[in-house]
Amino acid sequence: MTETQIQATEVLDARGLLCPMPVVKTAKVFKTLTPGQVLKLIATDRGSVADIPAWAGSTGNELLEWHEEGDTFVFYLRKGEET
Amino acid sequence: MGDQEKLVIMVTHGPEEPELATIPFAMAGAAVASDVDVVMGFQGDGCLLVKKGVAETVTAPEFAPLGGLLESIVELGGQLLVCSPCVKSRGLSEDDLVEGTEIVAAARFVAEITSATNSLVY
Repeated sequence: MTETQIQATEVLDARGLLCPMPVVKTAKVFKTLTPGQVLKLIATDRGSVADIPAWAGSTGNELLEWHEEGDTFVFYLRKGEET
Repeated sequence: MGDQEKLVIMVTHGPEEPELATIPFAMAGAAVASDVDVVMGFQGDGCLLVKKGVAETVTAPEFAPLGGLLESIVELGGQLLVCSPCVKSRGLSEDDLVEGTEIVAAARFVAEITSATNSLVY
C-alpha cells in the first residue's frame, strides 16, 4: 500500500521532537480518534522507526505503513477497537 | 483492562545529572503513552526534579526536555510520589512541589513496588 492510497483523519507533525515525545504526542492524538480512524505521523527522531511499531503493537493499534521522505519518517497508524 | 500493567520508576538523580535525571522521565513518558499505569518515585536528589520550576531547566542531549515530559506524564495519568525525609532534609514543603505530587514514606513505595508489574531504579 502506498501513502497515496491511505486517507488520514489527522496529521501530527512531530518533526524536531525527541525521544519519547513522538510516541507521547501520538498517544494524545489517539485519545481523540475513534476506532478505524487513521493518523499520519511525521517525525524526524530516528528512534521513532523502532518506537512507533512497538507502541502500536502494545496498544492494540495498527501501523498500516511507514516510509522515509528525505529527512523525515512518515507513519500511518489506524486506531484499534479497544484503545 | 482488568489486568492493567503498572510500572514503578524510582528516580534518585537530580538536575546536576541531566541524563540520569531525564532517562526515567523518557521511560515514564513512553509507558503512559502505552497505556501502562506509571508511578514515579523520587528519592534523594531526585526530589529536586519535582520542585516547582526545576524540571524546566533540565535538558539532556538527544532527549526531549524534562519540563515537557513531566507535564505529559501527569496529563496522561502518571503519579508522582516523593520521599518525605528527602523533601524535609532539603528544606522543601508540599507548596514547593509540582502540583499533584504526593509526599509519602517508605512503606508506600514498598506497596507500590510490590503491586507493580515491574520496577526500574535510576
